[in-house]
Amino acid sequence: MPGDTSAIRVVGLSKRYGGVAAVDDLSFEVRAGAVTGFLGPNGAGKTTTLRILLGLARPTAGEAMIFGQPFAALTDPGRTVGASLEISGFHPGRSGRNHLRSLAVLAGLPASRVEDVLKLVEMTKAGNRRAGKYSMGMRQRLALAATLLGDPKVLVLDEPANGLDPQGIRWLRDFLRAMAADGRTVLISSHVLSEVAQTVDDVIVIHHGRLVDEGPVDRLSGPQRVSVRSPRVADLAAVITRAGAQVKRDQSDVLLVSGLDAAQVGDLAFSAGLPLHELATQTASLEEVFLELTTDEPGAPA
Amino acid sequence: MSRVLRSELLKLRTTRTALGFAAAGVLLVLLFVLLGTLVGNPMSIADKRAILSIGDPLAVVVLLFGVVGATAEYRHHTVAAGALIVPSRLRLSIGRMFAYGLAGLGVGAIMLVVAFAIGLPLLAGKSGPSLTGSDYLRAVGGSLLACGLGAMLGVAVGVLVANQVAAVVGTLVFLFVADPLIVAASANFGKFLFGSALMAVGGRGNGMHRLAFGPAVAVILAWTAAALVIAGWVDSRRDIA
Repeated sequence: MPGDTSAIRVVGLSKRYGGVAAVDDLSFEVRAGAVTGFLGPNGAGKTTTLRILLGLARPTAGEAMIFGQPFAALTDPGRTVGASLEISGFHPGRSGRNHLRSLAVLAGLPASRVEDVLKLVEMTKAGNRRAGKYSMGMRQRLALAATLLGDPKVLVLDEPANGLDPQGIRWLRDFLRAMAADGRTVLISSHVLSEVAQTVDDVIVIHHGRLVDEGPVDRLSGPQRVSVRSPRVADLAAVITRAGAQVKRDQSDVLLVSGLDAAQVGDLAFSAGLPLHELATQTASLEEVFLELTTDEPGAPA
Repeated sequence: MSRVLRSELLKLRTTRTALGFAAAGVLLVLLFVLLGTLVGNPMSIADKRAILSIGDPLAVVVLLFGVVGATAEYRHHTVAAGALIVPSRLRLSIGRMFAYGLAGLGVGAIMLVVAFAIGLPLLAGKSGPSLTGSDYLRAVGGSLLACGLGAMLGVAVGVLVANQVAAVVGTLVFLFVADPLIVAASANFGKFLFGSALMAVGGRGNGMHRLAFGPAVAVILAWTAAALVIAGWVDSRRDIA
C-alpha cells in the first residue's frame, strides 16, 4: 500500500516477556479513512500491539507509527488519536462526567465538549453517577466518549464489544458506521469476527503474535464452491471430473464442486442429460475462514 | 504544565479520597492537641509551640495521601487515560506532585485552624511563658511546609512503587520501623532520612538528633527530587497495563 494512504503503520514489531513472544515480527498497515478489524483469538497479541502503538508499552524490536510518527512524537495526540484500551480506565468513585472533565482539561478542551460526547454516547443523564456503579455497557460507552473528546482523526478501540448485550452491540455497530461516515480511521480489535464483520472494510488477522492474513474483508470470505444435488450423482461426478474440476461428495446425492461456477455445472449436466434437483453457490463464511486461520493444528505449539 | 495541574486538581476534588484523608487529619490533630495540652501539661515555650506544630503528625497522613493518590492511577488504570493525551509520563507525574503539594498545603491550613482554635484557649490557661509571634509563625510555616512537601514526596513514592498496597505498607514500615531503627543505630545519619526530616520541618523542636528547620526543608526537597527522578526514569520504562 502506498505510504501516504496509511494512517497506521507497524513494521517488524516484536514484544517479548521473558521467553514468551507476545508479538513476533508483526507488520501491517491501516488505510486512512477505513474501518479495520484487528482480529485474533484471546492472547494473540492484539492488546499488546495496540499498547505499543499508543506508547504505553515499549517494543522489544520494530516500530509502530501513526501518520508517520511514533505516538509520543505527535504534536497533539489527544486531538489526533482517541483510544480505548481498558474498560476500567476510570476511578470508580468519580462520576463519568467528572472523569471526562478531567481529561478535557488535560487536553485543553472546553467543558462543552464533555456534554457533546456524553450526548453522542447517550449518557447525558447517567453522567453524574459514579463510574463504579455503571453497567458494563455504560462503561464501554463512557470509554468511547473519552476517545471522542478531542474529535480525533484516528480511533483505536480494543475489544469495545466485550460485555455488551445484543442491543449494545447493535448500538456500537451504528456508532462505528457513523465514525466511518465521518471519514475517521478506525482500528478495532476483537476476538469475535461476527461482532465487527458487518462494519469493517479491512481486516488484519494475527495469531500467536504473527500476521496470518490482511486485506479487504471481502477477500477473506473464501473461495466459492457449487453444491449440486442429483439422483444420478455418480454419473454427474464423472462428468464434472472429466471437465477438470474437483468434486467432493457431501451427502449421498450432493456434490461439492470446486473449479467451476454454477452455470458451468448446470451446462455440463444438461449436455450429459443428467437431471438436477438443486444447484447453488456456496461461500465459506467469514467465521469459518477466521477459525481456519486462527485454529491450531492438533499437536502444533500453542 | 498548567493543564496537567488543573486536571489533577479537578481529579482530587472529584473523589472522596481527599475528604477521607482530611477527616483522618482532623481526628489526628484533635487527638494530638488535646492529649498534648490536657495530659502533657506544657510549660515551656518549646512544649507549647510543639502543641501547635501539627506538621509532624500530619506529614504522615499527607505522605500516605500522596502515595494512595499516585498509586490509584495504576490501580484504576487511569494513568493510561492521561498518557494518551500527554505522552510524557514525567510531565504527568510532576503535575500530579504539585497538585498534591497544593492539596497538602490546603489540608495543612485547615488543620492549623483546627489546632489553633482548640489549642490556643487551652494553652492560655497554662502557666509559664507565652508564645510570641515568631513561635506562631514557625509553627504555621513548618506545618504547612511539612504537609506540602510530605504530599509531594508521597506522590513520588507512589509513582516509583505503583502497587498501592506495597507502597502504603512499605511507607509505613519505613516511617515507623526502619527510620527509628536507623536513627537509633546512627543518629547522625538517621536525621537525614525523610521521616526524621519531616518531623523537623513539622516543627517538633530541634533536639540533638533533629536537623534545624532550614536544612530539614532542604533534605526533604532533595528526597522528593531524588524520588521523582528515579520514579520518572522507572515509570518511563514501565509498560502500562
